[in-house]
Amino acid sequence: MGAVTVAVLLVAWETAGRVGLLSAYHFPRPSRLAVTIWDLVVVGFPVGVTVWQHVGATIARIVQGYVLAAALAVPLGLVIGGVRALDQATAPVVTFARSVATISLLPLAVAWFGVGERSRVLLIAYGCFWVILTNVVEGVKSVDPELIRAGRMLGSTPRQVFTRVVLPASTPRIFAGMKVALGLAFMVIVGVEMIGTIKGLGALIMEARTFYRSDTAMVGMIFIALFGFALARLLDRLERVLLPWSTGLEAVER
Amino acid sequence: MTARYAVRDIWISWAGIAVVLAVWQAIATWGLINPAIFPGPFEVARAAVTLVPLERVLLHAGSSLTRIVWGFSLGAGLGIAIGVASGWYRGLGSVVRAPIELLRPIPPLAWIPMAIIWFGLGEPSKVFIIFLGAFFPVVTNAYKGMTGVDPDLFRAAQTLGLGGWRLLMHVALPASLPDVATGVRVGWSLSFGALVAAELIAADRGLGFMIMNARELGQIGVIMYGIMVIGALNFLTDWLIREALFRRRLRWHFAS
Amino acid sequence: MNQPAATPKIVVNGVSRQFPAADPERGLALQDINLTIGANEFVSVVGRSGCGKTTLLNLIAGLLRPTEGEVCIDGRRVEGPGPDRGMVFQHSALFPWLTAIENVEFGPRNLGVPRDRRRALARELIDLVRLRGFEDKYPRELSGGMKQRVAIARALATDPEILLMDEPFGALDELTRAEMQEELLRIWGARRKTVVFVTHSIMEAIYLSDRVVVLSPHPGRVRREVPIPMPRPRQRSSTEFMAYYEDIHGSIF
Ligand SMILES: Nc1ncnc2c1ncn2[C@@H]1O[C@H](COP(=O)(O)OP(=O)(O)OP(=O)(O)O)[C@@H](O)[C@H]1O
Ligand SMILES: [Mg+2]
Repeated sequence: MGAVTVAVLLVAWETAGRVGLLSAYHFPRPSRLAVTIWDLVVVGFPVGVTVWQHVGATIARIVQGYVLAAALAVPLGLVIGGVRALDQATAPVVTFARSVATISLLPLAVAWFGVGERSRVLLIAYGCFWVILTNVVEGVKSVDPELIRAGRMLGSTPRQVFTRVVLPASTPRIFAGMKVALGLAFMVIVGVEMIGTIKGLGALIMEARTFYRSDTAMVGMIFIALFGFALARLLDRLERVLLPWSTGLEAVER
Repeated sequence: MTARYAVRDIWISWAGIAVVLAVWQAIATWGLINPAIFPGPFEVARAAVTLVPLERVLLHAGSSLTRIVWGFSLGAGLGIAIGVASGWYRGLGSVVRAPIELLRPIPPLAWIPMAIIWFGLGEPSKVFIIFLGAFFPVVTNAYKGMTGVDPDLFRAAQTLGLGGWRLLMHVALPASLPDVATGVRVGWSLSFGALVAAELIAADRGLGFMIMNARELGQIGVIMYGIMVIGALNFLTDWLIREALFRRRLRWHFAS
Repeated sequence: MNQPAATPKIVVNGVSRQFPAADPERGLALQDINLTIGANEFVSVVGRSGCGKTTLLNLIAGLLRPTEGEVCIDGRRVEGPGPDRGMVFQHSALFPWLTAIENVEFGPRNLGVPRDRRRALARELIDLVRLRGFEDKYPRELSGGMKQRVAIARALATDPEILLMDEPFGALDELTRAEMQEELLRIWGARRKTVVFVTHSIMEAIYLSDRVVVLSPHPGRVRREVPIPMPRPRQRSSTEFMAYYEDIHGSIF
């Protein structure tokens, strides 16, 4: 049924375009978009920069920023979540830092690091960092105290309680945070690619507009969507492989 | 948690904030990072006071808020309407779900070029981007809430004489409210990000414009001030939404 | 009151219920059920887990349609649920956004009972199920047994002629359970209700009912109907009681 709806919409769009109901500039027809995709794959836009280079640039930025954020946030979150006073002390700062819209840091990042790659990666890392941190802290804090008691009764040392009970018990929440962070990375990447580069999917759609190529902008959006969708699926898959016992949690906001 | 603990906790929280400010000031004062591009809290405060009069900031904040209120109310309103309707009427659901699911993975910011092509550089294109930020999380969560209602609740209501419309009003809607509220909060934060981005790229007023303008003038202090005002606004509005929705309406759903 | 009354209140006539399933044999929850339940009669339904007890109650409530046969109340075919049949669900099914007392008021509110009257009525029922002091708690703040008692009060609030109860005392401790059994018998006697009572406890079924219906699983059928003509109050330790127990226990296992 869903496929039928989409097919009907596409056909309607195409015909409306052909009979002149929708302008070719404002709503490039699906058939036109197909041609554009092909052009983008073989010729590239701007000429010479094919879609794979755009995707490659975007992936590289997201992966670097994301991994950097996770590498810092997970250990830090485990410590903060485990020490009550530390959590109390950091909570307001963390909450505020989370409220700072990542995109609003763009002018500052440019002033500090220039318009190069460093700014982009660091901004992605900033946005992801706080989301992951919050969820790791929350994950550790919300481990059922009965589980900890059970672990103690079964003879675990405090260290073992941490590695064998607290850590596994909080992984579902950590994963949930990682997923939200990925979504955020996609939100941010488009913004940070809009200035200072011609490579990357965000740059592609911005450039396309500058040259009045609405078809290319739309194709860029399609690619971002596909790519975001694929990465989200990958994380889901990974979660099911790594945490087969987890029922899937929703990330917390705080 | 006893009262004594609570008081101690508040002190610890303030101490945390103080430490962050002190470290920040120390870095700037001792020039660990070039103070020209890394002003400390005092310098930022001074820049805020001397370079941008408060009424200008309020004016910018006002235009930002106007935009987001428009975009967000349209997005959340339409999201709730479509989410609820498509969750209640199965047939409608099977028709509208697929296009929504296809468009959902496109980040709101990626619509900026098309928004400009469709609506020009003025207000409507910004409102549209903000609208998208709110619409998708709200519609998705409303639909999820509507379709996830425990069927026994409908059965119980039916044995108590409820049917049709009233089943929607008295069972389905209240039962899906927690999900709708979650969608509204996520939507608000996405709307906020979209707002800032839209103002950075093309605007002549608003907080995003204010910091972009400060960058051109090389006023790092003002940029930092602007960032903090935006953060504070986001924090405050999110808190308001949480109070209004979660504390008041959803007390039954969460720990009191 | 111990004898089934002459006028049938509920007639289940050749009812089968098929659920959509890959294997149609498996999907057949109930097959050719025939039951006649008199006005004011107290009937218990026992049987193994998954034998179709809840399905049978849902059919009488009108929440499910039979694939074959029909259910009649007072000679009229059941087309849907209605406030003449109150139901207590296996998992209480309280509205989580309403407080205990608001849950009890839900039915009367739908019937347009004025606010003061339904408040008073709800308070009475809250007292009846011994929950005074918990009126303004939300379901998530109540224990499993308390929730179940609110659910009973809610079902009674529309003063239905028929009470359909799906393991209502399953979540209660032994003592409260015994108390609630007495209360139920009292309500049943005082308000002249017809009760269909699903339980896992054979003792409970014998203690409460005029008749015990034993269902057999896969597909669910009526294996036996055992009238319990003992006078009330009944002695659980009496030899007669134990004889019924042995009899019914034997026909389930
Ligand atoms: N909605 C449904 N869809 C498919 N099969 C169902 C459905 N409801 C019940 N069944 C099947 O019908 C059979 C009877 O279910 P029912 O819930 O009536 O059992 P029960 O006797 O109430 O069990 P229990 O004592 O565990 O509550 C079971 O095999 C169950 O799997
Ligand atoms: Mg059952």
